[in-house]
Amino acid sequence: MAMVRRVEAPPERKPLEGCHSSVVFSDDRQWTEHLVAFVRGGLENGEQVKYVVDATAPERVMRALTDAGIDAVDAVTRGQLSVTAAPQPHRADAGFDQDAMIGSWHDAAEGARASGYQGLRAIGEMSWGARDSIGADRLLEYELRLHHELFPQLPLQVRCFYDRRLMSDAYVSVLASAHLTHLGEPHSVPALRVAPLTDRPGLLLSGSAGYDTRDAVAAAAAVVSGVAAPQVELDLSALRHLDAASLAVLADAAAVRPGGTPLKVRKAPSPLRRLLQLFPELDSAVEVVDR
Amino acid sequence: MTTHELASADPGHAAFYHPALFYGTEDEYLDGVGTFVRDALEREHPVLVAVPGPRLPLLQDVVAGDRDRVRWVDMRQAGRNPGRILSMLQEFADRAGDAPVQASIVGEPIWVGRTPEEAAEATRHEALINLAFTGRPVSILCPYDTALPKDVLAQAHRTHPVVGDSRAYRASSRYADPHEVCSDCDTPLPEPQDALVLPFGERELTFARDEADRCAAAAGMAPARRTDWLLAVSEAISNSVRHGGGRGTLRMWRTGGELVAEIRDQGLLTDPLKGRRRPDPRAASGGRGLWIMHQLCDLVEIRATAQGLVLRLHMALE
Repeated sequence: MAMVRRVEAPPERKPLEGCHSSVVFSDDRQWTEHLVAFVRGGLENGEQVKYVVDATAPERVMRALTDAGIDAVDAVTRGQLSVTAAPQPHRADAGFDQDAMIGSWHDAAEGARASGYQGLRAIGEMSWGARDSIGADRLLEYELRLHHELFPQLPLQVRCFYDRRLMSDAYVSVLASAHLTHLGEPHSVPALRVAPLTDRPGLLLSGSAGYDTRDAVAAAAAVVSGVAAPQVELDLSALRHLDAASLAVLADAAAVRPGGTPLKVRKAPSPLRRLLQLFPELDSAVEVVDR
Repeated sequence: MTTHELASADPGHAAFYHPALFYGTEDEYLDGVGTFVRDALEREHPVLVAVPGPRLPLLQDVVAGDRDRVRWVDMRQAGRNPGRILSMLQEFADRAGDAPVQASIVGEPIWVGRTPEEAAEATRHEALINLAFTGRPVSILCPYDTALPKDVLAQAHRTHPVVGDSRAYRASSRYADPHEVCSDCDTPLPEPQDALVLPFGERELTFARDEADRCAAAAGMAPARRTDWLLAVSEAISNSVRHGGGRGTLRMWRTGGELVAEIRDQGLLTDPLKGRRRPDPRAASGGRGLWIMHQLCDLVEIRATAQGLVLRLHMALE
């Protein structure tokens, strides 16, 4: 009898595009269009829908939906729709507890499924981050963590609303770029873009990393050290430059990963390879593949 | 003890010993350097010989069967930028260990053919040796060809506590405080004829990096050199923002077969040894950026004055 070698199937990872989108707008008309389309789709698809307001009054959201022909009051009464203020963990004075926030999204998505819905759709107004001076690095870290810790496992779609009237261009460009899908107005490209990888745990870094982009590098490093996956990768195929400080921060993050597995770096730009020649002691934390 | 014995790696010299050996002929060179190396080997000291490549086989013949006990380095390569030599010497001495093991080094940082700009930075390096190794059991013999320009030879008398030739050594009557020598090296730099000028602050760092890369590409710089150029310029402009008053001015121009980047800011180089010892790559301070510049560039000219800091980074196109 022939022996059949059993091959373990890779863990399923659902497509992430569209699960977590940035929506950039600069007037009420655009806001209404994005709001109505997303909520209507969710209600019609049998999903639970949450709108987490920050700068907008809940009544205004309800009115905009009603004016668009959606029976928002009935949806709220049935429990399919909720329009509520951001929970405490969003607030800087509450410590901006990322773990609590991610935990609450997890509970909400599981709760929607347990209640018989197809899943959960959510809109979050992101203006609170800019106002509460939490820091773009920590917000970027939060946006990146959402990708790795929520969407692969849960029936969840989130639209992050960025209102240009309430946030700086620099803030919008860094944070909106951290999403796999972008809707609405175009935004400027940040000096260093950090975004999740679509097919495996890891990040895409593109642009140029230096002292001016240290916040984005710090956010990427926080994700590298925190992702609970056996292996985490960086795709640097679109990275033009990386300075020594940025490499050191990423190497430090890799060094404290559980299990001590090195950070895999794909398509490393020549500056990174040169720095590893100068500092071979970083080789144990950063493994350059396909040199 | 005779005056000649001062030139040998005498175990009695448990402290720092830094003589200049002036030679006029190959025989004088081999006699003076050969004696130093042989004595060091006899006393089982770790020995580093860093001299211009063509000299290496001559000296290797002198020590014959003991050549494998010596670390041989072509100074034309390792010390092309004089600013990186001291890091190499300190690394060697560190590996040799502390007392009672004494490291013996031959370092020839200036040879006939060095440009005046290189010779000036090599003189700064010679002065800094005295600061870096004070109190350490290290002997560093520095050969000087008497065919070198007179001003270079005069500086050797200021940077070496002991001077002599293959026959005798004496204390240098012209030895000067290393800080004073470094200050004297901070002479005005000639103005470039046609430079690209980029004032920068933190917001302009990415643009400045990209402009530096474009400049190198337009000049036809070889890819590997272009990488080194970009890394060096990036470290310099970041230092200006971090330590040099928050902003600076980057100027770039081509001269002959090289590109030059000048970074000017309000920084003060309070520690002249900054960047001349291999840093911990993970440490944000400690001269990591300047050390990288020294390692990658063909020449780093430094002008540290009360008005600010000027760095000129030279990079050959090939």
